[in-house]
Amino acid sequence: MEQLLQHLVNGLVLGGTYALLGIGLTLIFGLMNVVNFAHGEFYTLGAYAAFGALALAGLPFFVALAAAIATGALLGALCERVLLRPLRRESIDTVMLVMIGVWIAMQNAELLVWGGVARSIPHPFPTAPLTLGPLNIAPLRLFVMAAAAGLIGAAWLLIQRTRLGTAMRATFQDRDTAALMGVPIGRIHTITFAFGSALAAAAGALLGPVFLAYPSMGDLASLKAFSVVILGGLGNLAGATLGGLLLGVAEELGAGYVSSGYRDAVGFVAIILVLIFRPAGLFARAERIG
Amino acid sequence: MLKRAAATFLPLLLALAFLPAAGDAQAPIKIGVIEPLSGPVAASGNYVRMGAEIARDWINARGGINGRKIDLLIEDNKSDPKEAASAAEKLIVRDKVPAIMGAWGSSMTLAAMPKLEEYGVPMVVETSSAASVTKRGNPWVFRISPPSEMEALGLEQYVDKLGVKKADFLAVNTDWGRGSITAFGDMLKKKGVQVGAAEFMEQSATDMNAQLTKIKAAGGDTLFLTTAVEQITLVLKQGQEQRLQRKVITTGGSSSPTQLIKQAGPAAEGSYHIVFFMPWFPEAMPDGKLAKAFVDEWNKRGHPFEGLTEGFRGHDGIATIAEAVKIAGKDEPAAIRDALWKVSFTGVNGPIKFDKDGPAGKESGQSKPSIFIVQVRDGKVALPDFLKK
Amino acid sequence: MIVRALLAAAALALVTAPAWLPSPYHLHILIMAGIFAILALSLNLLLGYTGQLSLGHAAFFGIGAYTSALLALKLEWSFWLALPCAAVASGIAGWAIGRLALKLRGAYFVLVTISFAGVISLVSINWMELTNGPLGLPGVPPPDFGPWSLRTKRAYYYLVLAAAAFTYLVCHRLVHSRIGRALVALRENEPLAESVGIDGTRYLVLAAVVSAALAGVAGSLYAHYTRFVSPEVFLFTYTVTMVIMVIAGGQGTLLGPVIGALLFTALPEALREAVAWQWQMLAYGVVLVVLVFFLPRGIVPSFERWQRRRAASLR
Repeated sequence: MEQLLQHLVNGLVLGGTYALLGIGLTLIFGLMNVVNFAHGEFYTLGAYAAFGALALAGLPFFVALAAAIATGALLGALCERVLLRPLRRESIDTVMLVMIGVWIAMQNAELLVWGGVARSIPHPFPTAPLTLGPLNIAPLRLFVMAAAAGLIGAAWLLIQRTRLGTAMRATFQDRDTAALMGVPIGRIHTITFAFGSALAAAAGALLGPVFLAYPSMGDLASLKAFSVVILGGLGNLAGATLGGLLLGVAEELGAGYVSSGYRDAVGFVAIILVLIFRPAGLFARAERIG
Repeated sequence: MLKRAAATFLPLLLALAFLPAAGDAQAPIKIGVIEPLSGPVAASGNYVRMGAEIARDWINARGGINGRKIDLLIEDNKSDPKEAASAAEKLIVRDKVPAIMGAWGSSMTLAAMPKLEEYGVPMVVETSSAASVTKRGNPWVFRISPPSEMEALGLEQYVDKLGVKKADFLAVNTDWGRGSITAFGDMLKKKGVQVGAAEFMEQSATDMNAQLTKIKAAGGDTLFLTTAVEQITLVLKQGQEQRLQRKVITTGGSSSPTQLIKQAGPAAEGSYHIVFFMPWFPEAMPDGKLAKAFVDEWNKRGHPFEGLTEGFRGHDGIATIAEAVKIAGKDEPAAIRDALWKVSFTGVNGPIKFDKDGPAGKESGQSKPSIFIVQVRDGKVALPDFLKK
Repeated sequence: MIVRALLAAAALALVTAPAWLPSPYHLHILIMAGIFAILALSLNLLLGYTGQLSLGHAAFFGIGAYTSALLALKLEWSFWLALPCAAVASGIAGWAIGRLALKLRGAYFVLVTISFAGVISLVSINWMELTNGPLGLPGVPPPDFGPWSLRTKRAYYYLVLAAAAFTYLVCHRLVHSRIGRALVALRENEPLAESVGIDGTRYLVLAAVVSAALAGVAGSLYAHYTRFVSPEVFLFTYTVTMVIMVIAGGQGTLLGPVIGALLFTALPEALREAVAWQWQMLAYGVVLVVLVFFLPRGIVPSFERWQRRRAASLR
C-alpha cells in the first residue's frame, strides 16, 4: 500500500511535467497544424538557457527561469517568421520535414556549444526530502509541480479570457473570416508558435535542475509531448493537462507493477488503445480551442 | 532561379561522395579511431578521443614510431551500429588505415567486426564489455578493457570486506548493463550472497523512482548500479529523495566519481565505485609516473577532470597499436596483427598483454586490465578503509 | 526525351557500377542506398499514394531483419527461405497496423504507427530469450547461391540491385493499376471516393501490407549484409531518414524516393569526407532545411514542374 502511494505521488509529479510539455505542443500541433519535431529542442534550449543564466551569469533562480522562457519565445518567434511563414502554403509534410531539419540542427548546435557532458543546474531548494508518513517528496519537485500548474493556469487564462486568446482561437477556427474581421493573421501565427515554444522552454528550465541538462534530452520529451497531445485531443488545453497527468501515473504504475523494462511501453499501449476506442482523445467532450 | 541553383547544387553534392580520397602521403602512420562523438554518449566518446590525441602527441614528440609520425583519423559512429560499420569501411578502404581503435559501445564494436575479417585489419577494443566481442572467433580483435566477468572477478576478493549479504541490481537496459548483472550475480551467488531484485532503466530514462521504490521494498543491504554517470547521478539523487539507505556499488568504470560528487553532492556520499583508473592518486597506479604525467597533460589541455576515468582508454588503445607497429617494423595490417600478440608493456591502466580468448584456431586477444575500487568520503574520492595499509 | 536518355544512362551506370566505381567503399554506399531505396519506395506507397504518414516504418524494417536473422541463425534456414518469411512477418505486422488504424487518419494514424514501433522496439530489447536483447544477434550468415557464397560485395550489390528493381516494378504495377487509382482517389478526396464505392479501409490495409512486406525485404537484406542485428534497427532515426528520403525526393512519384535514397545515403558519407566530425550532423540538418526550403515539393516534382514550364515557354 505504501508502495502504491509513493508510485502515485511520483506519477503525479512526472505527469505535471508531461502536461507542461503537452500544452505547448497542442497549441502548435493542434492549432497551427505544424508537426513540430523540434518541440523537444526548445525544451532543451530552456534547460541550457537556465544553466547559462544560473551557472555562468550568476543570476538569481527566478530571474534565470524567466530568462529561459523569454529565450524560448524569441527563438520560436524567429523560427516561425523565417522558416514557417514562407512555407505556410506548403503541405503539412513539407513543414514537418523542415522541423526535422531544425531538430537535427538545434541538437547538434547544442552539442557543439555545450559539449556532450551533462550539466547540473543549481537551485536554491533544500535537498532533504519532505516526509509525509510513508511518502517522500523533494521540495524542488513540489515547486516544479506548483510552477507547472501556475503556467498551465496562465496559458488557459490567456487563451480563454484575453483578446489575444480570442484572436488566436478565431484564426485557427476560420482564418479568412478572422482576417476579414481585422485579425493580424501573420502576427497571430508568430505569437502562437512563440508561446508554445516558450512553454516547452519553461518545462526544460523547470526540469533541468531536477534531472540534468544534456543535448539529447529533448528526444524523449518530444515523443511524450506528442503522446500527451493525442491523449488529450488536438488543441485541447484541459485535455493535454489531464492527459499528461494520466500518462505520468500510468507509466509509474506500469514500471512499478508490471516491469521496469517495459515502462515506456505503457505509454505506447495507452495511446494505441485510446486511438482505437476514442480517437478524438480521452476528453473529447471538453471544450476544444480549434 | 533559386530552384536552378538548387538543381546544380545537388549533383555537386552527389559528386562529392565519389571524389577520390586525398593523395596518400607515405610518411605518417595512420590509425583509425571510431567513437560515438554525437548522440547520447557523446561525452564518453569525446573523452576517449582526447586521451587518444594525448597518446598521439606524446609519441610524435618522441620522434614517432621507427621515425614516422602517427596520424589519427577520427570518425563518428553516431551511437549507431550501421554507422560504425560504415566508418570502419571508409577508414579501411578509403583511408587505408592498417589498424583501428574502437568502437566504444558493444553493439557498435560487434557491427564493425565483420569488416575487420572482410579486409583483414586489426582493431583494438578499448571500452566494450560484452563477452561476445572476444568469443566470436574473430582473430582481428584485441581487447584491452575488461569484460563484465573479469570485472566481477576483480571485486570478488572484497565482497566479504564490504559486508555484502543481500544485493539488488539496477542497470541500464543495454548489453553492458545486462551483462554486468549476469556476471556480478553469478559471482555473488558463488560467494553465498543473496540476490534480490534486478531492475532496468532505459538508456535515456531520467526518472527511476518506480524502480527505486521496488528496490527499497526488496530490502537488500547493497545496491549494484551499472550505468553512465548521468544516470548514476539521477539514481543517487532520487534514492536520497526516497530515503533509500544502503550501500551503493557502481560497476563498469563509467561512474566518473568526480562528476558524481559535483552533480549529486551529498547523495553520493559513501558510495563505492569500480574504476579502471584512479586519477585522484595516480601514484598508486602500476606505472605511477606515467599515470601522473597523463593526468597533468590532461589538465594542462583544459579537459574536464571527470573525463579522465574514460580518457585513459583512448591513450592505452593508441599506445597499444603504436607498440605493435614498432614490433612489426611496418604499418601493414597482418604484420600489426601478429605483432599485437607479442605486445607487452605498461599503459596508464597497467600491464597490457594479450591472452587467447574464444574458439580454438580463431582466438581474439584479451588483456587482463587492473581493476580498482574507490569510495566517496567527505565529498572527496578516497581508497576504502579496508584497502588502506 | 532527354530525361529518358538520362534515365537509361543512369540504369546502365548502376548495372555496371562495380566496374567503374573507384573502391569497395563506394559499392558499400550504393548497397546501403539500394536497401534504403526499397525502404523509401515502400514508405512512399503509404505516404505518397494513400497520403497517410507512417512514422513507425522502422518497425517493419526491424521485424524483417530480426525474422530473417533468427531463421538463419537458430533454424539454419537458407537466405532464400528466410527473406520471403521476413516479408510475410512484416506483412502481417502491416496488416495489424492497417486493421488497428481502421478509422484513423492524419495525425492519429501517425501516433499509432509511432506507438506500435515503440512497443516493438521495447519488446526486442526486453525479450531476451527470443532476440537476445541489447546483446544483439551477431554472425548472421551471408546468402548462398548454390555452391557460390554471396559473401563478396559485388555479388551482394547485384542482389540488392535486383531486389530494388523488383520493388520498383511492384510499386509501378500497383500504382498504375486499378488499386493505385483507388488509392489516389482516396488520398485526394476520401468521402468522394467512398461515395463511388471505394472501400477506404480495405485499400489502406492493402497498401499497409504491401508497404510493410517490402520494408521486411529491405530488413532481411540489411541483416545478411551487415551480419549483425541489434535493437538499434528500431531507432527512430531510421524512420526519420526514410521520411526525409521520400519527402525530399518527392512523395507520390516513383523516382523521387529512389533519388532521395541515393542523395541521403551519399550525403552523410560525403560530409564525412568534406567536414570535420564536429560539424557533420549540424551541416546535415542545415542542408535538409535549405533543400526543403528551395524545393518544397521534393526534387522530382520540382524538376517536372520546371520541365513543364520550360516546355510551355518554348511553345
